[in-house]
Amino acid sequence: MEETKKITNHGRNAALLSIIPGFGQFYNKQFVKGFIFLILAMSFAFTFYDVLPVGFWGLFTLGEIPRLDHSVFLLIDGIIALIITIMGLGIFALNIYDARNNGKKRDAGLELNSVRQQYHNLIDNGFPYLMITPGFFLLIFVVIFPILFVLLLAFTNYDLYHSPPAKLVDWVGFQNFIDIFKLDIWRTTFFAVLAWTIVWTFGATTLQVALGIFLAILVNQKDLKGKAIIRTMMILPWAVPSFITILIFSGMFNESFGVINKTLLPFLGMEPQPWMTNEVWTRFALIMIQTWLGFPFIFAMTTGVLQSIPEELYEAATVDGATIMQKFFNITLPLVLFATAPILITQYTFNFNNFNVIFLFNGGGPALPSQNAGGTDILISWIYRLTMTSAQYGKAAAVTMILSLIVITVALWQFKRTKSFQEEDMM
Amino acid sequence: MKKSLLLMMLILLLGVVAACAPDREEGTDTKDGDNGTASEEPKPEKLVIWEDVDKSKDWLPAAIASFEEEYGITVEFQELNMADKIRDQLRLDGPAGNAPDVVTLPHDQIGQVVTEGLIREIEVEDSVLKTYSESSITAQMYDGKLYGLPKATETPVLIYNKALMKEAPKTMDELYAFSKDFTKGENYGFLALWDNFYFAHGALAGMGGYVFNETADGLDRDDLGLNNEGAVEGAAYIQKWYSEGLFPKGIIGESGGAAMDGLFNEGKVAAVMNGPWAFQGMRDAGIDIGVAPMPTLPNGDPVKTFMGVKGWHVTEFSENPYWATKLIEHLSNDENSKARFEAVAEIPANVALVEDPIIADNEGAKAVALQSQDAVPMPNIPEMGEVWGPMASALQTLATGKAQPQAALDEAVKSIQTNIETNHPAK
Repeated sequence: MEETKKITNHGRNAALLSIIPGFGQFYNKQFVKGFIFLILAMSFAFTFYDVLPVGFWGLFTLGEIPRLDHSVFLLIDGIIALIITIMGLGIFALNIYDARNNGKKRDAGLELNSVRQQYHNLIDNGFPYLMITPGFFLLIFVVIFPILFVLLLAFTNYDLYHSPPAKLVDWVGFQNFIDIFKLDIWRTTFFAVLAWTIVWTFGATTLQVALGIFLAILVNQKDLKGKAIIRTMMILPWAVPSFITILIFSGMFNESFGVINKTLLPFLGMEPQPWMTNEVWTRFALIMIQTWLGFPFIFAMTTGVLQSIPEELYEAATVDGATIMQKFFNITLPLVLFATAPILITQYTFNFNNFNVIFLFNGGGPALPSQNAGGTDILISWIYRLTMTSAQYGKAAAVTMILSLIVITVALWQFKRTKSFQEEDMM
Repeated sequence: MKKSLLLMMLILLLGVVAACAPDREEGTDTKDGDNGTASEEPKPEKLVIWEDVDKSKDWLPAAIASFEEEYGITVEFQELNMADKIRDQLRLDGPAGNAPDVVTLPHDQIGQVVTEGLIREIEVEDSVLKTYSESSITAQMYDGKLYGLPKATETPVLIYNKALMKEAPKTMDELYAFSKDFTKGENYGFLALWDNFYFAHGALAGMGGYVFNETADGLDRDDLGLNNEGAVEGAAYIQKWYSEGLFPKGIIGESGGAAMDGLFNEGKVAAVMNGPWAFQGMRDAGIDIGVAPMPTLPNGDPVKTFMGVKGWHVTEFSENPYWATKLIEHLSNDENSKARFEAVAEIPANVALVEDPIIADNEGAKAVALQSQDAVPMPNIPEMGEVWGPMASALQTLATGKAQPQAALDEAVKSIQTNIETNHPAK
């Protein structure tokens, strides 16, 4: 490596000296930068020297004396301490990296940047980083922090009988996960709920997407009159707040007094159905309602995409003698799916966790014998029930983890397969 | 090599850090539990009360003024939603040091908040205890200790539309006969949400069932009486109303309450079973209502409705439990309870007030007071949280005719027991 005329070890020396932040830069005669690192490190040490140890102590022990130590607050403090430490280590690593890099430059006999050049360098190359920094900080505390909290909570025994301030919370490792799969009532319920959640996600989402695209293509026909009015009408279900729609549907589906059983079905010559008390019918109703709620968005989006498909493609296809179906399957559908795929995937993940419609329509009901979730409870509404009625915070966090894992895996897999994410143009 | 060295140092550092607990003296705060009884207890500058939303006007300022005059302690109050907000806020504000001295809570939360260590035991003289009805004091006891003083009681009663029903029937048999005659099309003689255990308990317990057996030292969580002979008879009685079409299917489930209220307010129902909170809405709908205690069951016993007691409690975080206890005694004495009833129409538990013309001449209040004599306080142990779900499932399957009484109740009791074993470790 070091085959220059005069062998120097500035890189190594500077890196080693940087164990005390700034000294590596001093060694490289970059005094302003060195001072900035030194002051940063000193203020970091000065501000956090007593906070961080206590934070880590809390994170490891979750408190030792009931009533005096509040485990949940200690856990929160501990996570903050962890985040701060990681940031500090990041700056520390940057400091060493910088010293070593500049030392190597000196080894190679290159000129180092002056203060002015460094400043320009920062402005020119670092501008995007500078701009995203505030948002990134916010993100750490608004998004990363709660995720870490749930993640850690899943490994504690936090429930009613281990609730601060009266009691302490303890780390229990994978006990919650083991319980979910070992205890009978949990296991049967978990898999029953998971199965319906998957059916729900695919049923409701696929229907709403299919209906949205179908209607968009229908309304996009060239000779159709009054497109503006039809489109406005189609968007309307989207304009009404969904919780109001759901509550109205809940009234309409009422078995004895709802308009569906009393007027609509008899008018069509059908028997009234047990919409609210038979889980199969409730599930059917829920999927229909979600289709109603979800299709306008897909409709609006697809309409936009359709209008941007060049007419020449169809003309060329006509010349080649393609049928309408062939045109649809080989031109329209691929282009629409290509443009909307990322959003379609988010529709699936959205419905996987669509708490509102399940909870507001029938509260997860109807009740089923011998399981502690209702017939239409999906995982998220079941977790809500767990936390609210049994105060099983630790277990609820564990189920949340499993649930996130499923959603993340599916989303990642789909995103990776989707052509739209490969930054290539299709047309 | 350098990397592994760095890693080792890091781990060592973390180990050291994790070992350093914050400096504090053990056991400083633990002895605060027992109230000082000496009358020369130092007076605090001020006490803080949390009262339910919209429940303080017209009476609390006057009550506070007389307390300030007598003891020279300033009292401040805030309004927070009692159903959940007070408890949730106390969990956060307590450890943070902003907790109030006195809060109001529904009594069925007592077991939970005591387990969490949010409210403390109080000591009052026997003469004070005798001011309140015995059942309302029982409701404030947990594990054989007193945790509060009753503020108001409520229990479901028979509310009837005077235009459709001349006078309240004395027995359920009369009501049944009336209902058989009256129920036609969309008109119903009598409706009750008996798929909801809160209301159904009256029939089950009236026939001889019980939730947890009452023993000398509180409720026995292992002795469930929800599938005994009496409870099964009660369930069969409930099922009769549904299977004979006297109760429509549309009042089953989550949205059943809204459906029932709607029918009653349209003047299509002669009588309903509901709590005193429903009076105002019915009067606002222009119905001339009469209120009476529930008619007696076919076996001659009264309907043993669930009673809810709202109470005043001293928080665990109060630094002046002695004066806080004095304050709740003052707030719930006869004079202030009467003023409170006049202001907010919640029925007090003070024995002396039942005879007072202000309650004796008020039809609604009198009916609730009379019904309270046969009512059972809702169990306030945390295990009660496991009862609602399975019982609602059992009652719902009974109401829809999917299950038979004995089988449904056996199933419910089994899953209640499993849930209790799983979620509530034995003491």
